[in-house]
Amino acid sequence: MGLITRRLQEDDVVENFDCKDDPLNNYLKKHAWTNQQKILVGVTYVAVGESAPTMVLGYFTLATSAVPRDSFPKKHVRGLPAYDLPLILLARLAVDYRFGGKGFGPQLLREAFRISIAVSEQVGCRCIITDAYRDKMSWYAKYGFLPLEGGAENQPTQRMFLDIRTLKATLKN
Amino acid sequence: MPSTGTKRAQRNHTRKPKFQADLAPIEDRIVRSLKEELQVSSNSDFMSDAVALFQWAVGERKRGHKIFSESTTGEREVLVLPRLERVAPGALLPYVNVAWNEKELESLIDSTRAEPARPTEALVRLMRG
Repeated sequence: MGLITRRLQEDDVVENFDCKDDPLNNYLKKHAWTNQQKILVGVTYVAVGESAPTMVLGYFTLATSAVPRDSFPKKHVRGLPAYDLPLILLARLAVDYRFGGKGFGPQLLREAFRISIAVSEQVGCRCIITDAYRDKMSWYAKYGFLPLEGGAENQPTQRMFLDIRTLKATLKN
Repeated sequence: MPSTGTKRAQRNHTRKPKFQADLAPIEDRIVRSLKEELQVSSNSDFMSDAVALFQWAVGERKRGHKIFSESTTGEREVLVLPRLERVAPGALLPYVNVAWNEKELESLIDSTRAEPARPTEALVRLMRG
């Protein structure tokens, strides 16, 4: 099946989307459009098939963020550039369970990476971070994400990091 | 009189780059059909027109313009091509605040200061696939 990835549109069919995770389902159905168009806190990209171009099969959400320089522990600030640290947040990524195992997850991730590279070239960005479910950490690690220390073991997610330079290195011969 | 080396350099300078593509049988049929419909006889002319069209489309999306077809009854269908969407200004993302604890910040700064990790094989395959 040919897959198209594009920004979420108002008339996209999201009601039937089910990735077997309520928070991820609810985000797409209730918040993604509002967050994208009205309160501007994240852009959602959806995967649709060529034969049903409004039926959402998977999605991811991206936003930019930055860590203020003065929020780093003092002993680490010395030698840092006098700027905040810009980054991209891969906030969510999900595929409808009925379309699992078809490689849609990696295709969505690749699109997220390509957008991140484009953004890093337009406005600057140092890394991508994501809060991965603990049982999905190995999937993200396979594509280069590294866990950051400091996450509480009792939290459902683990913050992970991918250097934009690592991503860009894949495009060189 | 220019030397042989200079002549070769001039020849190289004026030589047009060649473009070669592997087409699946279905794509080959589409290209032949399009050439017939457009009454284009050479691959070079076909390529030249295709590049001009693509260049125009990229320019329009870069300016944030939508590209759509309009039927005789006024129904519009917007062109969405993932590669074109990458050049659209809409690719810029909104800003959000992320909460960090001290340990995560230490780990983050250590990670950004370190040499970037080598891409994993899966990542290379993903990006080049």
